[in-house]
Amino acid sequence: MSYFIQVVVDGLSNGAIYAAIALAIVLVFRATGLVNFAQGGMAVAATFVAFALTRAGVPVLLALIAAVVFGFVLGGVLERVVMRHFEGGDPDTAVVATIALLVLLTGLSALFFGYEPHPFPSLFPNRTIGFLGAFVSLRSIGTIAVLLVIMAALQLLFRYTKLGLAMRAVADNPQSSALSGLPVSRLLMIGWGLAAALGAIAGVLVAPQLFISPGMLDFVLVYALAAAILGGLDSPVGAVVAAAFIGVVENLAGAYLDFIGDDLKIAVPFVAVIVILIVRPQGLFGRKVTVRV
Amino acid sequence: MNTFFASRPRRIAGLVVLAVVLVLAPLVSSPYINYQLSSIAVFAVAILGLNIVMGYTGQVSLGQSAFLGLGAYIAAYGVLHDWPPVLSLVLCAVIPAVVGMLVALAAARLRGLALAMITLALPIVGVPLARRLTDLTGGSQGRVVSWLRAPEATGLANDQWRYYVVVVIAVVAFALAHNLVRGRIGRSFAIVKENEAVALSMGVSPYRTKVLAFTIASLLGGVSGFMYLAVVQYTSPETLTFFTSINLVAAMVIGGSASIVGTALGAAYYVLVPVLAGQVNSSRTALISGAILLAVLFLLPAGLVSLPRRLASLLRRRPQPAAGAPTPDDATHRAPASSTATTE
Amino acid sequence: MSLLELEDVTAAYGHAQVLHGISFSLPENGATGLLGANGAGKTTTLRAISGMVRTTGRILFEGRDISGLGPDRTAHLGIAHVPEGRGTIGQLSVRDNLLVGAYQRRDRKQIATDVDYVLDLFPNLQQRVKSNAAALSGGEQQMLAVARAFMAKPRVILLDEASLGLAPSTARRVYDAIVRLRHEAQVSMVVVEQNANLAFSVVDDATVLETGRVALSGSRDELMGMDAVRRAYLGG
Repeated sequence: MSYFIQVVVDGLSNGAIYAAIALAIVLVFRATGLVNFAQGGMAVAATFVAFALTRAGVPVLLALIAAVVFGFVLGGVLERVVMRHFEGGDPDTAVVATIALLVLLTGLSALFFGYEPHPFPSLFPNRTIGFLGAFVSLRSIGTIAVLLVIMAALQLLFRYTKLGLAMRAVADNPQSSALSGLPVSRLLMIGWGLAAALGAIAGVLVAPQLFISPGMLDFVLVYALAAAILGGLDSPVGAVVAAAFIGVVENLAGAYLDFIGDDLKIAVPFVAVIVILIVRPQGLFGRKVTVRV
Repeated sequence: MNTFFASRPRRIAGLVVLAVVLVLAPLVSSPYINYQLSSIAVFAVAILGLNIVMGYTGQVSLGQSAFLGLGAYIAAYGVLHDWPPVLSLVLCAVIPAVVGMLVALAAARLRGLALAMITLALPIVGVPLARRLTDLTGGSQGRVVSWLRAPEATGLANDQWRYYVVVVIAVVAFALAHNLVRGRIGRSFAIVKENEAVALSMGVSPYRTKVLAFTIASLLGGVSGFMYLAVVQYTSPETLTFFTSINLVAAMVIGGSASIVGTALGAAYYVLVPVLAGQVNSSRTALISGAILLAVLFLLPAGLVSLPRRLASLLRRRPQPAAGAPTPDDATHRAPASSTATTE
Repeated sequence: MSLLELEDVTAAYGHAQVLHGISFSLPENGATGLLGANGAGKTTTLRAISGMVRTTGRILFEGRDISGLGPDRTAHLGIAHVPEGRGTIGQLSVRDNLLVGAYQRRDRKQIATDVDYVLDLFPNLQQRVKSNAAALSGGEQQMLAVARAFMAKPRVILLDEASLGLAPSTARRVYDAIVRLRHEAQVSMVVVEQNANLAFSVVDDATVLETGRVALSGSRDELMGMDAVRRAYLGG
């Protein structure tokens, strides 16, 4: 039983990381209607800023704050300078532009820090505590807690604030939103900025475990995409639940199904995701879209 | 290009020149060049499949690498069991097509990103599966093969022979695809891409059309896997990673979505840009590739295939516009995202 | 002083020039119609006013030249454009669409009052206030589009083909509400409409466009008295 709890909590902790990037994907999707592959690249770049600062002796928490600010500016600037150019055009081209940004940011991080992984100090004390007979690391608990706070904040933002309403409107119909006087370009910049800032938090949380390298979040990006789509792409809560589901199912399968083992465990949540999508195409929490012709 | 090849005689002349170049190129090139040219043929077929499902039918696929990998593994299995290459080629087409069709039968009722998600899962599940099924795939080590050596009688070197094999397959695939997209089926692809509800009202089943497009894409992916093994003589789980799929999508858009010529240009881009970037500075390949990708998207949002049109329109813009007409320069504000706007 | 005045305005999409020097003016608390065949430049004239196309010439709003301002800026000044095709925000609920319309306002209490007012004006919307706009019928979407424009508390509403694709009785209901809106809320209007009968139920005067130029203009009664206008736009 205690082993079970440990496996579940570790799964939730992994899921929290997937969820953070998934939330960032949802945020950009809500703000711009695009799936942003550059998400991982922006997060890693911001995490490297934190890395450089901690190496210079800055405390981790301050470095995190700096990374969040850097991420916000980076996201806003990339939207203004690069993505703005592709608005209103073919969405495929815009998505490929985000792929280009991913490659570019990865290359840029490597230019300064190389491709080899570096250790990264943890935000949370490196201790475990007893929990229902299991040993759970404070890092896992801290990661999950931070994530829940972010999720709640985003849900509030979209549901109950004017900014959130405006971002949803712009994502859906930029032209009409402009006619209603919404500052479309500023809202798009804010969307990207918030997403990148969120990525920075995820990067700093996960870096101690994965070691920081330019490709650190490549795999996380895939899980996050799956979680975001499974969650319905426009639902922060859905993305988090889906990410937790993926993290836990994966860990349980790896721990308890011998023929699955560590290498094949990734397949289990993905197969589950496929089955769920086929049964429920709008995702777990997405609103069913009715479109008239 | 479009204007130049508009007339039929010119078009035929162009094709003859192309054929002569394709035939002569390997005879005068180094093995290294032939390897690169052959690789372009390999990925051209993979991207062709992707273009059929994405460019022509409008369904995002993030799983093309899985079919490329599947084809390569089937071919490698055939080499191990001494199948004749033609049998391998047939199975490399049929098995991935069946797999693709089964996936599509289950998934094609979905739209947009839900469908993309299912295709995304293929490489994600495929890579660890390839590592695990060691008996079939050689596990993480992959499979090194030595096959498709040049028959003595031809007097060709292995690289030249393999070039001809893959180029012939690619030419056949392109010719078939060209006819397909210009025929009745191509029109149904276009209608489904435009609007599924309208397709229904015109008697075109979006579901069956999407399944067909996916099946063809998977078939071409599998064939490109056969070609991959012919050229590279090695396959491993790395062949089918998700990032290969992503790069194929990027190459397709760079070349030109819904364009046969664009597909070939995209393949050349896919193969050559990393090589060129590596030659400039091998430790900065990603940085340079990313910058080039972005630059092309900025300059040619409709892909490399639009370059002649784009140049022509730049040249045409030179003459002064009619007096009194607003020119782009008088405008003091940025045009809003109005490319979808209707002109009255 | 007129509220809105166009002086020799031209506009083009790329190389295709659509407007060749349009002039007309809209008085304070007035309503003017733009009539004309398809392709005459009616929609483009509205797009020129709200800043969605590039223009030359002068567009004066409350005496100030607004040409060159983008749509979010002109909206800020008090110009609400109800575009062709309605332009509701499909994935937002009816209520959220109305709130988006009121985005620039700070007077929360008055916003709530105005929401109640438009829901009273369009009882169909009242029943569907929580539905996504995309799930509404064409007539309901048109009502929502007009209601959303009103929520900005604009000085002038630009109304583009509000009857397009609607059943005659539905179109009539939409226009009845527009007439009520004009008089109760004291908002000026520029009305583009194929169906001149509907247009003349709202406007005081009108300008007839032909291939991007002003063909004639006059008061409602003058125009309705002209045989040519009757034949072309009033069905005999």
